[in-house]
Amino acid sequence: MIAARLAWGNLGLHRRKSLLIGMIMGMGILILFIGNSFIDTALSGLQHMFVQGYTGDLMVTGPTEFPTTVLGETAGSEEVLPHIAQIKKYEDFLAGRHDVAATLPLLSGQVDFGIGETELGSGYCFGVNADDYRKFFPDNVTLVSGGWPKEGDGPWVLLSEPTLALLNKSAPAPVQPGSKIIMTALANSAGTVIREVTVKGVIKFNQSNQQLAGITLADADTMRDLLGFASLRDGAPVLTGQEASFVNNFDPNALFENLFVSGNAKQGSDPEAKQGSDPSVASGASGAGLSGQGAVNADKTDKAVNADRAVKAEVVPAWQFLLIRVKPGASSARLLSDLSAFSKQIGDGDRVQDWVAGAGKVARTAVTIRLAFDLLVAVVAVVVVMIMMNVLIISVNERLYEIGTLRAIGAKRRVVRNMILYETAFLAVIAGAAGLAIGLVVLLLLGKSGIRAPNLFFEALFGGQVLKPMVSAGAAIRAFLWILAMGLGASWYPTIVALRIEPVIAMRGD
Amino acid sequence: MSDIIISLDKVRKVYFLDTVEVEALKDISLDIHAGDFVSIAGPSGSGKTTILNLIGCVDKPTSGTVVVSGKRTSDLDDDSLTELRHTSIGFIFQTFNLIPVLNIRENVELPLLLDSQSARSQPKVESKAERKEWVDFLIESVGLKDRMLHKPAELSGGQRQRVAIARALVMKPAIVLADEPTANLDSATGESILRLMRHMNESFGTTFIFSTHDPDIVEEADHVIRLKDGRIIEDRRRSGASATHLAANLETAEATGTEGGQL
Repeated sequence: MIAARLAWGNLGLHRRKSLLIGMIMGMGILILFIGNSFIDTALSGLQHMFVQGYTGDLMVTGPTEFPTTVLGETAGSEEVLPHIAQIKKYEDFLAGRHDVAATLPLLSGQVDFGIGETELGSGYCFGVNADDYRKFFPDNVTLVSGGWPKEGDGPWVLLSEPTLALLNKSAPAPVQPGSKIIMTALANSAGTVIREVTVKGVIKFNQSNQQLAGITLADADTMRDLLGFASLRDGAPVLTGQEASFVNNFDPNALFENLFVSGNAKQGSDPEAKQGSDPSVASGASGAGLSGQGAVNADKTDKAVNADRAVKAEVVPAWQFLLIRVKPGASSARLLSDLSAFSKQIGDGDRVQDWVAGAGKVARTAVTIRLAFDLLVAVVAVVVVMIMMNVLIISVNERLYEIGTLRAIGAKRRVVRNMILYETAFLAVIAGAAGLAIGLVVLLLLGKSGIRAPNLFFEALFGGQVLKPMVSAGAAIRAFLWILAMGLGASWYPTIVALRIEPVIAMRGD
Repeated sequence: MSDIIISLDKVRKVYFLDTVEVEALKDISLDIHAGDFVSIAGPSGSGKTTILNLIGCVDKPTSGTVVVSGKRTSDLDDDSLTELRHTSIGFIFQTFNLIPVLNIRENVELPLLLDSQSARSQPKVESKAERKEWVDFLIESVGLKDRMLHKPAELSGGQRQRVAIARALVMKPAIVLADEPTANLDSATGESILRLMRHMNESFGTTFIFSTHDPDIVEEADHVIRLKDGRIIEDRRRSGASATHLAANLETAEATGTEGGQL
């Protein structure tokens, strides 16, 4: 192809300009490649750590307007995240999906530890079913000492190594598996709650950061107690018929009316009017107690008739989070969209969010770094394109007679256009190869350097506690495409200038 | 008499230099026959190059008509003009205008390579082997067989112009235009180039039109067109047959008081 032959020759003939543009392109590719590799490393590392160890791919939370981390941190004003009232509906919905691998309900909050009157420290605690948790995160928890909790065990905790170390700093006697410790939390609906639990074992999170490494696992009921939700430790509450009737017909206004109105005319207030009242009221535990629909779901048809018969309440345990693992290859974005629509349909105001929201600051920082980097690249790209464009225009102007001659002897405009595009493409390929090769060496050297992240910002940047930038083919391809696009963008105006050169110019001589 | 291959009728060409109007050609009419060896003579600024530009389809007249190989150039769009230049016209430039990044062989072959870009144009040299043979023949004909792989910068002026002649002929065009082909050469080299052009004209029957202000070279032509101040003051054919428009041009020359019309 003659346009390619001419382009190649021109690059050699105008070495200085080719070198200048090539160096700009090469530097661009180098920076983009390394930058994108860093960001890919950060996001991939964080994603792997959180999705495989703490958040799953997606999560449903209790009603809140704000992104909420799996540690219970929210930008909102809730001290304790409300529970998911109709978690069963979500579980049923997800069970019917082919793209869902597993789900895990979870409670989360901050607790204080102590022994007797001695305060030992505080930390984040997950309330879970131990077996379910291990099945959901099979690779992230290792038992260091003690044992895994068994069904029927009393209140238990699995302390992480850093938390154990923290507790043992000020404990009167060494805390170890079998020790009894006190866990305390300030629940917004129940005031200060204190529970004694047995340390069943000591665990280690295989992938973690400074914040996550100290998470304690506790049995769900203890955590419900501490968060102010109703515990199901002793099974569902058994109500007498009278209690059930009271609960189902409870009208707080009637209490006040009785203060001022003689007689008990209001005692038998229309039970039908209470049918639609908030079921959580019936639980006696406010919204933070027994779960949503039917928190106490006494058989309403029988309630008036069998007033004296004991009624066992059907209770759904309270959970704040429902973590979801998507099957490999399935689209979590699509599931997020479908699940959000389903949540809206339910109408409780629950939040459906991805792992980034669940991971919180560290993942948001990484995402922000990517956005900032992309913005920076866009700004630098404009400057680079302007420089390259100027050099190319000079180059075209120096070749007026050559291009005019080509046109005079029969080259159509597209030959001239292709010649300039080939020049840009050749430079992009050569400079790209050089930039990628240098970038590869730099990444490999950085990977071997073992630089540790001094704080959360760098942890987000490194995608873990140690810098191990991955050599990403995607980053290389993105960098190359960026530069090619910049090169073609830069050659756009010079090409127009070249196409305006009329063949008659060849007759004027050089 | 051979067929008319180029015809200019009442051609006027006006350039604008800033706001100044410069009339480069004033109602020029002429005919050129196929196979002619034509010189266009005249002093600088007389309009020689402008006529070549119009015949070479690299420029269009302000008024009047230019017909080349039966096609009225003002009716053609850019692509068609390019096609016409490519298939019917060869160019020899005063400054050689070889492509510096290509070697001699590639420079000569260049128009043939451009040929493949057009679906409409029918390659006059069909196969690759034929093409190679034809290019080699031309290079040998201009005496540069041993310089085939050299770059233009490695050749003398005369050698470069020989390459340009070979390039101009490679598409087997009906017309070759040469704008002062000997201007940048010493007299001996200039003569040899002219002999080569004459040889090609006789060998291939190609119409050669060259501009010059060298009186010795002018007389080598069969058909001499002499210009002054944008008008034809002489249009003479060596065979004795004067050009169709000679009388009219002489009248114009007399009217403007210029000398000419000597046969």
